[in-house]
Parts: sequence; C-alpha cells; structure tokens
Amino acid sequence: MLAFALEESLIDAGFEIAGVAGRLETALAMIEGSVFDAAVLDANLAGVSAGPAATALKARGLPFIIVSGYFLEQLPSAFSGALCLQKPCPPERIVQALRHLLPA
Amino acid sequence: MLNRSLSSPELLAENADLQRRLGDAEETLRAIRNGEVDALVIETVAGPQVYTLQGEDAAANRMRGEMLAQVSDAVIAVDSEMRITFLNAAAERLYDFAASRCLGQELSKVYESRWRHPDDEAAFKTALRECGEWRGENVQVRHDGRELNVESGITVLRNLAGEPGGLLAVNRDITERKVQDDKILVSEVRYRRLFEAAHDGVLIIDPDTRKIVEANPFMTLLLGYPHDQLVGKELYQIGLLRDQAASQEMIQTLKRTSRMRYDDLPLESQTGQHREVEVVANLYSEGGLPVIQCNIREITERKRAEEHVKMLIAEVNHRAKNLLAVVQAVAQQSAKHGNTETAAARLIERIGALAAGQDLLVKSHWHGVEVSELIEAQLAHFKDLFGTRVLFAGPKAQLRADAAQGIGMALHELATNAAKYGALSNDEGRVRISWQVSADMEPEFSMSWQEDGGPKVAAPVRMGFGQIVIGRLAEAAVQGVAEINYAPEGFSWTLSAPMKAALR
Repeated sequence: MLAFALEESLIDAGFEIAGVAGRLETALAMIEGSVFDAAVLDANLAGVSAGPAATALKARGLPFIIVSGYFLEQLPSAFSGALCLQKPCPPERIVQALRHLLPA
Repeated sequence: MLNRSLSSPELLAENADLQRRLGDAEETLRAIRNGEVDALVIETVAGPQVYTLQGEDAAANRMRGEMLAQVSDAVIAVDSEMRITFLNAAAERLYDFAASRCLGQELSKVYESRWRHPDDEAAFKTALRECGEWRGENVQVRHDGRELNVESGITVLRNLAGEPGGLLAVNRDITERKVQDDKILVSEVRYRRLFEAAHDGVLIIDPDTRKIVEANPFMTLLLGYPHDQLVGKELYQIGLLRDQAASQEMIQTLKRTSRMRYDDLPLESQTGQHREVEVVANLYSEGGLPVIQCNIREITERKRAEEHVKMLIAEVNHRAKNLLAVVQAVAQQSAKHGNTETAAARLIERIGALAAGQDLLVKSHWHGVEVSELIEAQLAHFKDLFGTRVLFAGPKAQLRADAAQGIGMALHELATNAAKYGALSNDEGRVRISWQVSADMEPEFSMSWQEDGGPKVAAPVRMGFGQIVIGRLAEAAVQGVAEINYAPEGFSWTLSAPMKAALR
C-alpha cells in the first residue's frame, strides 16, 4: 500500500520507477540487477530489517533515503549516514528529499 | 510436777516459755555460726558468765560473716549429712527461708536440685570426688515450688585435718538471664533463617579491615565463591567494586553518611557470568562496634525486563506510525481515484477495515491471522447472511501479518462492491469464498471470491481505488497474482500466491 502510493506520487512528480520490492530478497536482487539512480528504503521489509539492502546500496555507491516508523537511533548502523524520514511522511517530503539527492 | 494436770494453764505457760528460749538459743547459735557474736553471757547457778570470742579467729570470723552477708550470691554450707550449717542473707532472700528456720535442717527442705541433663548429676559427683569442686548450671525447685535457674559453684569443705566435712554452695540466680538468653536464641534462630534463606546477597564487613566477616548462602549462589572464600576478602576481590581504592572510598563514605546505594553495578561471577546488581550498604553499631551490612540484589532480570519494555514501546510506536502511514496512503488514494462526494465516507470505511485487521493481528501477537477469522472480521456487516448468502469454507490457514493486511483490505473492497453493485445488492445473490493450499513441490495458497444471483454484471468504466486494492495491492501483499473477472452471471476474484509468501 505504502509503496504503491509512493510510486504514484513519484511518477506524478516526474520520476521513473525502476522497481518496487516488498521483500528483502527482491530488493537485493533489484539492487544487484537494475539500473537506477536512487532508492527509497523502508527500514523494515515485511518484518525483516532492510539493513542488508542499505549495505548493498552503499557498496554500489547509490544514494538512498530511509522512511521508517522507528527513530533513527533505533535503526542498525547499516542505515547510518542516510536521511531518515519519519512515518507517516507526506509524499511531497520524499519527492523533495529525492530531488536533493540527485544531480539536477 | 508429775501431779499437775497436763492441760493446766501453768503448763501451757511453761511450754511457751521453753519455746521462746529454744528460739533464742537457735538465734544465738546462728549468730555464733555467722560470726555476728563477739561475746556470750551465759546465766549459770553461779551467776552470769561471760565467754568472749576474742583474738584473730574472732576478727576473721566476723569479717567473713560480713563479707558473706554482703555478697549477692546465695551462699549455703551443709555438713556431711547435708544439714544446713550456714546460709547468708542472699540465700535467705533467694530461697525465701529465714536462716533461723533452716539451720540444722536438711538442704532438701530449702530446695531440690533438678539437673538439666541426665548426665549432669554423675558429672557433678565425679567432679567433687576428683577435683573437690564443681561448677555448672542447674535448676533448683524452691520449697514453694518456684523454679530457679542457677549457676552454681560447689566446693568440698574440709576440716583442719583435711577430711571432707561438708559442702559449700555459691548459687547465682540466672532465671532472668535465662529468659533473656532464650529470647535471644529465638531471635537469633529467626534472623539467621532470614539471613540464610534471603534471595538477596548479604555481606557483613568490618569497616576497619574492610574485609568480609560474614556472607549468606545467596552470595555463594550469586558469585560462585564458597563461603570460606568470601570471608576475609575485600569487596574488590570478589569483583563487586573495581579496585582497592573504590573499596576504601566506599568505607570512607559510609563512615560519613552511614548509608550508600549503588543502583547498578556490573558483576562477574567466579565462572565469568555477567550480572547486574543493586547494592545498599549501611553502617551500624553492633554492641558499640561499627559493622557494615551490604545487601546485594540481582537486577539482571529486572534490567532485561526494562530493556524489553523499552523495546516493546519502540515497536508499538513504529507500528502505530506505520499504520498511520498506511492510513495516509489510503486517504491519498481514496481522494485521487474516488468520487469526491463519497471519498470521505469510503475513507472512513477503509480505516475501519484497517482497524479490524489490526485487532486480529494484535490478538495473535502479530504472529498470523486465520483466514476464516479475517473473513468474519472484514464481512462483519453481513454477519446475518453467513451460512445462507455468504458462504465460506477452507482449511485452517494462518496468513502472515503483511498478507493479512493486504487480503483484509481486498475483502473489504470486495464486500463493498458486492453490496453496491453485486450479489449482495439484491435479495437472493450469493457470495462463495473458498481457499486452499495445493500439495505441489512448491505449495501455493489460493483464495477465491465468487458471486452469483446478483444483477447482471458489467465491467466498471473507470478504475477506482477499490480495483487497485483487490488487484495490484493484493498481489504485492502476497507476491501473487490476482485475476478479476466481470462475467455477466457473476463477478469473480482469485488470488494465488506462493504459500511461503502468504502463510506462516
């Protein structure tokens, strides 16, 4: 539901969606195999920490932002250094943050 | 004299006179024995005769008599036949018997000894025979029946030739002390039991040496050191404080403040186990001497519980915010895809559906939701039609939390649609819901919603949020495929997904 709503907001804002993943395995496969410029990561994917996805993104040098209901200090260190937006977060805020990450 | 009547008044008077003189004689005798007499005047036929008890013997006797009258212990002397030859003032008081009445009487008239232990009497006799004296405690029963606990010293009296001629007993009444001793004993047993059974560690420390002088059994349980390895050590040596300086500092502070508390000290047991403890130390005076008592309470479990509560609160916060984010997305979508006039009403219904799903998740502690329970909750409005127009059947199956949310929302949309346009919009249409798990190598969970008997079905002209929920969103929730069929005789919906993605 959240991914879908975000996807629509991002498309409306002019972004192209490389892919949506609801589970960690899908996300890791996508980071490995797709071409994209940035990622929006939920810290918790279907009850599993998205930490490995953050690590994989860092390894590929891809910028990302985190959206989570957890406070930043509760999140594993894999997420450190990234911007963390608190849920519930207005879609415009995410759009803005992504624009900030990417070169104009 | 023989002629006189036996009951004559003269005879009675004479008898009384004789009694009085006998009493006087006995008193005189007692006074001589006690050394209270310096001289005697005896009336004889030749007139009064004065017998003086003079010289060193008299002075010594007198002094001895005074001393014995002064001592607070009861002093009694008996001859070889156990007849009383002397008793001092303290003995008169203790046994409630005037010396004048008991001199020459058998000792048993004054009191009877009752030995505490059966062996005591034999030990007493042996001691007298072999050492000439005995010391110990026993019970004496007075002539009036009162029991006295006494501490006695009994010595064999010998004449100038060294032959035994009687006994001298010095008895101290310890009845009061005995009562106190018994009270102390009861108290000691009671508090020792507390000390030994306590589930807190207790240490007694000498503030001068800083060493442990006593430790209760729980300390051994807590630290793994046997009792004898705790006693004699300083606190830092058993890992309670980090070093000798900390030990010294604690004692110094205690001497100033009498009380200290460490809320949270890490502790290593002898086996290297990590524990958290809370320590309360008090400086007391014990019989004028300062002692330190340390109570050590293990709080490892409590700390763990506190951490757990913190974690739970964070988790609840995360879930609440996640749910709010879902509500936000539903609101955004309801507004975007729906009819402006009905958007608010639909949003309210959808929030209700989310809440119903949330209840089920909480009841199952977020473990999973039974499919049948999810249907009952999401179709609660149609409860009256269950078993007649709303039929559902399938095996026991528990949906994962995320799958339950997606399928729950889909069921809500399906029911809303059926009530508005489909089989539940007239009086005879029916909805059949079924679900199954295939027995393949990679088992699949599938669920279907089949309507019949409703008005003739036509595919919607415009794609609403409801279609997205039963389509894309349901698929995403279970990583599955949704098929939607607007057949004229009845709408149908099927969702198939890998079992591991949908079920627990």
